[in-house]
Amino acid sequence: MPLNINLQQILLHWMNLAILTGGLYFLLYKPVKDFMDKRTAHYQELEEQAADKLAQAELLESQAKAKLEAADDEIHDERMRAQQAASDAAQEQLAQAEEQARRIIAKAQAEAEQSKERALRESQREMRDLAAKAAKKLAAKPGADFFDQFLDLTEGGKPHEGR
Amino acid sequence: MKQHKKGLAVCLAAAVLLLIAALMAGSPGPSESVQEAMRDAVLHGTGQISLFGLMTVNPGMISALLVTAFLLLCAALIRVFAIPRFQYQPGKLQLVLEELVGLFDGMAKGNSPHRNRFLGAYLFAAGSYIFVGTLSELLGLQAVTIHGHPITLPAPLSDVNAAIAMGTLSYLVILSGGVASNGLGGVGKTLKEFSLPISMSFRLFGALLSGLLVTELVYYYVALSFVLPVVVGVLFTLLHALIQTYVLTMLTALYYGEVSEPSPKKEKKKKLQAKNA
Repeated sequence: MPLNINLQQILLHWMNLAILTGGLYFLLYKPVKDFMDKRTAHYQELEEQAADKLAQAELLESQAKAKLEAADDEIHDERMRAQQAASDAAQEQLAQAEEQARRIIAKAQAEAEQSKERALRESQREMRDLAAKAAKKLAAKPGADFFDQFLDLTEGGKPHEGR
Repeated sequence: MKQHKKGLAVCLAAAVLLLIAALMAGSPGPSESVQEAMRDAVLHGTGQISLFGLMTVNPGMISALLVTAFLLLCAALIRVFAIPRFQYQPGKLQLVLEELVGLFDGMAKGNSPHRNRFLGAYLFAAGSYIFVGTLSELLGLQAVTIHGHPITLPAPLSDVNAAIAMGTLSYLVILSGGVASNGLGGVGKTLKEFSLPISMSFRLFGALLSGLLVTELVYYYVALSFVLPVVVGVLFTLLHALIQTYVLTMLTALYYGEVSEPSPKKEKKKKLQAKNA
């Protein structure tokens, strides 16, 4: 044949290549590829586990956030209630203080009223006594003007300025 | 630093002395003309080798068997000693092996997303064979022809029979992908590319042969046998080993992906079945 082409040798080369392909596949290609696939699967599994853990962590985080928000709300409510209670207590105390002040004022007014009446009564009694005394003295000194004598007596025994 | 300089000077002096000795010794003259040497390199008419006494084969066949034996031995050693010690954080050897397998596996998956398991294994084997086979010519292994002459074993694919076997086998692999995916339609798709086995075979053969011929030419003349072979023999061989490996594996993966792509009718059927289910 031209170019020394030989069918027998071509077939021998085929056989050689078939043996080589099979041998390399089983000895090298498949084990290495299996190992690479195994490693890929291993890292994929790790990645999936990491993703799961991340999802769990995110869930926990959202739960914690929700709890925090609930606690915030509760704190807010408590604060409002406490403020309301404090405000109520202050109002009550103020009302009590006002009531007490009113009572004190009323009492003071009553006492003042009583003092005034007592003073008035005393002054009236004193005036009556003075008048009685003056009348007694007038009656004892004949010839003097009653009115001037009375005035002298009331001014501590000094003679009246009008004279 | 001084020791390095001394070593360099000794090397240079030895090289100059050897060059002078070689030039003074002279050459017995070429035993065959350059035409005969090149025709023999292409056709192997006179350089046949006995295969275990059963038949005579081209030297490329012996190279192919040696390369296969070497690759399988390496693979077995790696399988026994290296792979059981693989770790999730790879070492150097593991990294190289994973890169190689990943390269061909990625090429198979990228070009043939629908069906690629066997393709990846075939590309790995073919790529290793072409690369190591091409580099094997650098070793200059010697064999004895049936006429008792010594001969340097060439790269397996510089033998036209090896190149045709590689091209046609790749074509059969492509055909198998078409049949597995599309049945008879796949056969039709593959047969449309009837020129593929010829182009694949002769592309490989031409590329490898051109390297061989250039090397033959260079070594034919004594004066060209200094310094130049470092570039021609090593760099060019390395370069076209890489290029041919890439070209054949890429072409096989591309055509395999093309013929193994499910036809639109089949996809419609599958969708309908899925809907009904």
